Amino acid sequence: MRRVLKEEYDVLVVGAGPGGSMASYYASKGGAKTLLVEKSQEIGEPVRCAEAVPRLEEFKIEPSEEFVRSYIKGGYLIAPNGKRIEVRGGKTEGYVVERKIFDKYLAIRSAKVGTKIAVKSRVVDLYPCEDGFKVKVLHLGEEYTVKTKIVIAADGVESSVAEMAGLRCKKNPMEVCSCAEYEMTGVKLLDKHMMEFYFGDLSPKGYAWIFPKGDAANVGLGVIDKKKKAIEYLNEFLEHPILEGRLKDATPVEFKCGGVPVGGPIERTVGDNIMVVGDAAGQVSPLTGGGIYLAMSCGSIAGEVAAKAVKKGDYSMETLMEYERRWKERFYNTLMTELKYKNILQKLGERELNIIAEVMDEKLEEIDVKKIVLKAVKKAPSLLKYVGELIS
Amino acid sequence: MRVNYERCGYCGACVGVCKSMALELIENRIVIYQDRCKGCKACIIVCPLKALEE
Ligand SMILES: Cc1cc2nc3c(=O)[nH]c(=O)nc-3n(C[C@H](O)[C@H](O)[C@H](O)COP(=O)(O)OP(=O)(O)OC[C@H]3O[C@@H](n4cnc5c(N)ncnc54)[C@H](O)[C@@H]3O)c2cc1C
Ligand code: SF4
Ligand code: SF4
Repeated sequence: MRRVLKEEYDVLVVGAGPGGSMASYYASKGGAKTLLVEKSQEIGEPVRCAEAVPRLEEFKIEPSEEFVRSYIKGGYLIAPNGKRIEVRGGKTEGYVVERKIFDKYLAIRSAKVGTKIAVKSRVVDLYPCEDGFKVKVLHLGEEYTVKTKIVIAADGVESSVAEMAGLRCKKNPMEVCSCAEYEMTGVKLLDKHMMEFYFGDLSPKGYAWIFPKGDAANVGLGVIDKKKKAIEYLNEFLEHPILEGRLKDATPVEFKCGGVPVGGPIERTVGDNIMVVGDAAGQVSPLTGGGIYLAMSCGSIAGEVAAKAVKKGDYSMETLMEYERRWKERFYNTLMTELKYKNILQKLGERELNIIAEVMDEKLEEIDVKKIVLKAVKKAPSLLKYVGELIS
Repeated sequence: MRVNYERCGYCGACVGVCKSMALELIENRIVIYQDRCKGCKACIIVCPLKALEE
């Protein structure tokens, strides 16, 4: 361990979440000497997640029994009045995983292609030096200075590492969803392959969820609210009449909490010798709060670009910009559209949500926002002031 | 700013909104660098557990 922190590297990745493990995998695979630094004692701990991921085939990762707890076929969107809309197939398919095991699996996969890993090792500062960064790492109370050509900041919601290098990635508090969650056993699910999403005053500016997870389920919610805390909303949700007593016999086996950046991507994700990936870069779906898939995809691109830059011997911002161009090409428009929808959704009260649910078909394959909005406005023209920009 | 360690779930949400870099999460302990704190209360807003107080 100490030996690992005494060497020099081509690429140093901070944070062994899904973003960092994928970035280090592709950096190593591309031939770069790579170190992955994780401050926790155990990769994957503590869990701050509802653990739903879409299909993983595009990453050439088999959905292994080792980490998959439930197979997901879709979800129910549940309006304040209880109307259920069933969405199945396509993008809604995926898995609920055991993040503790999944994150460790991804780190091991990266180590297998050559990545060295330092655990219980926290990056506390970094400063530019000729041709790279000197990164200060604290491990068991001792300080190490590790020289690297490229830093990939994948330090999650805390977003401190790129900030140390002068990139602005701290978030606005009204754009971070504040979440609390119990993993519970004994939950009566609507369907063991379907996720449940609840909207309305029970979870202002966010939603509450019940995701099947093997013998258990993740029951949680995310809110943006100055008056009341996520934990208070969660305790109310557990006894909410909309659940018709389905949690009556449930009991928790784990408690999780956290913040999800839902304000869209940060301005700049690249600088000289540095790239920012995942939650730190705001690469999170503003509508669902899902960030695992995006962190994995953008992390993969960052790792590839880092390896290429090392081969070229050029780690300047211009070269690393390939990362920003490529991730934006794939995801920027979707993220910005979702951000627009989210901002509208957050303004709707329970009455408006109920009207929208009423005009929606009970079973859907895909959500055609324009069609739904047109129908809703026809039924209740007063909605136009909220959703007008979507149909103009 | 003060943290109530009995309430804190060491999730790091507060760290992510502190533009003054006054907060750090060391494993399961939030550390506050009082000299850097500007009292903006961003951390209080995002904390899911009411673990932070002025
Ligand atoms: C309650 C909740 C529910 C969620 N549910 C879902 C869901 O169902 N599906 C989904 O797709 N997404 C979900 N998300 C979002 C998802 O968890 C994140 O988007 C995802 O984990 C981001 O991955 P990442 O690799 O960017 O960061 P992380 O997974 O957060 O990893 C960052 C790592 O960096 C380490 N680190 C931080 N600072 C340092 C440092 N200075 N030195 C060394 N290491 C450091 C941390 O310890 C951590 O291990 C949820 C989030 C929350 C809070
Ligand atoms: S009040 Fe503002 S500056 Fe002080 S710790 Fe909280 S977020 Fe940081
Ligand atoms: S946001 Fe609250 S619960 Fe989370 S680490 Fe900060 S003080 Fe603790």
